[in-house]
Amino acid sequence: MKLLQLLPEAPPAHALSLALNAGFCLGLVARNDLEPLSGKTVSIETTDLGTRVRVVYDGIRFRAYLGSAPPDLTIRSTVSDFLALALRREDQDTLFFTRRLVMTGDTELGLVVKNVLDAIDWSRLPLPRPRS
Amino acid sequence: MELVCPAGGLPALKAAVDNGADWVYLGLRDSTNARNFAGLNFDEAALAAGVAYAHARRRKVLLALNTYPQAATWARWTQAVDLAAAKGVDAIIVADLGLLDYAHRTHPKLKLHLSVQGSATSHEAINFYHQRFGVRRAVLPRVLSLAQVENVVRHTPVEIEVFGFGGLCVMVEGRCALSAYACGDSPNTMGACSPGHAVRWEETPAGLESRLNRVLIDRYAPGERAAYPTLCKGRFEAEGATYYAIEEPASLNTIEMLPEFLRMGVRAVKIEGRQRSPAYVAQVTKVWRQAIDSLTRDAERFRPTPEWMAALNRHAEGSQQTLGAFSRPWK
Amino acid sequence: MKIALGPVLYYWSRTAIMEFYAGIAESPADIVYLGEVVCSRRQEMQLEDWLELADALAARGKEVVLSTQALTEGAGDMKLVRNVVHNGRFRVEANDMGAVSLLAGTEGWVAGPHLNIYNPQSLAFIMELGATRWVAPVEATREIARSVLKAQPLEAEVFAHGRLPLAFSARCFTARRFNLQKEGCEFRCIGFPDGMPLKTREGESFLTINGVQTQSARVYNLMQDLASLQEAGVTVLRASPQSQGTGDVLHAMRAACDGAGMPAASKDDNWCNGFWHARPGLERAA
Repeated sequence: MKLLQLLPEAPPAHALSLALNAGFCLGLVARNDLEPLSGKTVSIETTDLGTRVRVVYDGIRFRAYLGSAPPDLTIRSTVSDFLALALRREDQDTLFFTRRLVMTGDTELGLVVKNVLDAIDWSRLPLPRPRS
Repeated sequence: MELVCPAGGLPALKAAVDNGADWVYLGLRDSTNARNFAGLNFDEAALAAGVAYAHARRRKVLLALNTYPQAATWARWTQAVDLAAAKGVDAIIVADLGLLDYAHRTHPKLKLHLSVQGSATSHEAINFYHQRFGVRRAVLPRVLSLAQVENVVRHTPVEIEVFGFGGLCVMVEGRCALSAYACGDSPNTMGACSPGHAVRWEETPAGLESRLNRVLIDRYAPGERAAYPTLCKGRFEAEGATYYAIEEPASLNTIEMLPEFLRMGVRAVKIEGRQRSPAYVAQVTKVWRQAIDSLTRDAERFRPTPEWMAALNRHAEGSQQTLGAFSRPWK
Repeated sequence: MKIALGPVLYYWSRTAIMEFYAGIAESPADIVYLGEVVCSRRQEMQLEDWLELADALAARGKEVVLSTQALTEGAGDMKLVRNVVHNGRFRVEANDMGAVSLLAGTEGWVAGPHLNIYNPQSLAFIMELGATRWVAPVEATREIARSVLKAQPLEAEVFAHGRLPLAFSARCFTARRFNLQKEGCEFRCIGFPDGMPLKTREGESFLTINGVQTQSARVYNLMQDLASLQEAGVTVLRASPQSQGTGDVLHAMRAACDGAGMPAASKDDNWCNGFWHARPGLERAA
């Protein structure tokens, strides 16, 4: 068993929730764009490390999900591919065609998440841009 | 020759402009365009910002209003036309006869492009749109051979735009009710083919399955390349054989035909993919900009480089590329 | 309510076509659409043959309309369309804007189901050009028909029985099944008088391959929807020819329209009516 699998799930889920919620505060994401996610749980799983992070969106903010219900949407990929997506170095459909990104469950939710992330205009942040 | 690139959001528009698109086409966040997907597309503020960004760099913006309005929601489409005129959009892409008529009468200065959804495959049809509505440009459905494209170009004053790269409709655009038959949402009326709400991906013991409203589209063995869950890219059984009965998943790539397009007078090439990410838009636009620049410098010596082909191949559906209807080994 | 028989969408031998229409001459169809709509490589019947047939059917009191090809790809296809448009004797159904451009300004043509007219404004435009009948797109809902016809009263026809013509392509899927190129297709589609069934990998009948056309596997059937068709302003019901039982279908439609009550919609269970009810086409709504 890999080391990371032994780590509890909660801290990374909290961290991800905080980061997602920060998106609202900074005006990067409009809440009504995420309306379809209300009450839904999303599980993000890494196939190489065998870790998973689950969050639930309550219509106002994300928080860690620690329950036992099956997630509404599962997104599965490797850590490096998740990073490449986050940094806009990769296109999700490109990864999907080659099976490096698998999305199961409610596909509509997956598209919402993907389109909301794609629409974030990082140039509006007074921070170093992830990639020029 | 002009390069027309897709944008599903402001970051993609910037990626297109920064990497050399002459035109960027986009849609509003509703059923007025043929990529009506959750979270995708532009609201008014983003449209204004996009137009400003493009115009500051002397590029043009196209608003796609390429679905077929219905009586109850007619005003949504006319308001979108009005919005395009008010926001300084350089041209709109329209398919519906009534909407073309409205735009032509109400905003005579707003340039009109005939959408591929208008299914105009002959110069007779295209010239009709020109005479009646002053259409400046027509996007050809992806069903004509090179010779047929040339014949159209030769017989019309309308600028001709062809698809250069990206996802490929096997059916004549504007003439496909397959998605509507399976799940109710149609490209013509809803602006959606195989919409997310009707699609289910599931890992099963038999493999990764894609379903559209419960209809099994395909089943992929581990490691087998996946395709969009559209009916035309699925595997079905006919006369005892199970195969890609309509078309293998593949992307169109016509980069090697650029000299031919130039010679016959094609005015613009279009990149498909408003549903794809800024990364795709940036990488594909960059390659096509280089190709068109190379073509403009010396059409005689134009050769697609292995780097271009590799960069484009990465993004192809099923990681396969095809010349589509332009060249027809299957003809 | 009038009953129309749409054009034969499959490739049948000349003999089969002649026999079929001999039966149709005796049928209750009021309107008969003739001609090749799907593929110009199909040449069992030339325009002269269709015209001869048209005369014979007209002599039996049928209104005959000549249908034009839905997808035209080159000058050759457009020449065929031009010949149909200028036939000089019979009404024409335009199935493409190329045909519309040739018919514009003449009076009395039919705006076919492949013209994509979904709203009153588009219908008004096409009426100004001389169209006097509108055939709704196959995916038209009751609401689309009702709203269009409320604003623009016109003779209106709806696809009411048969396998739905869902899509057209430049590619021939029948030839593809036999690993043949389109130009060397060996006219294999003539071996499938009702098209080639396409099943999902779970064995579910799903689509029907008919050369460059893709149809539904299920038979669309609006016989249980007569009241709402009438209420929407529809005045013509179209049946699409099949190799067997078309005469019976026409008789059943006539009887239903004359108030014989709801017929048993279809002997087999493989039918649908979803589009009319704003549902997925393959579904059956109550």
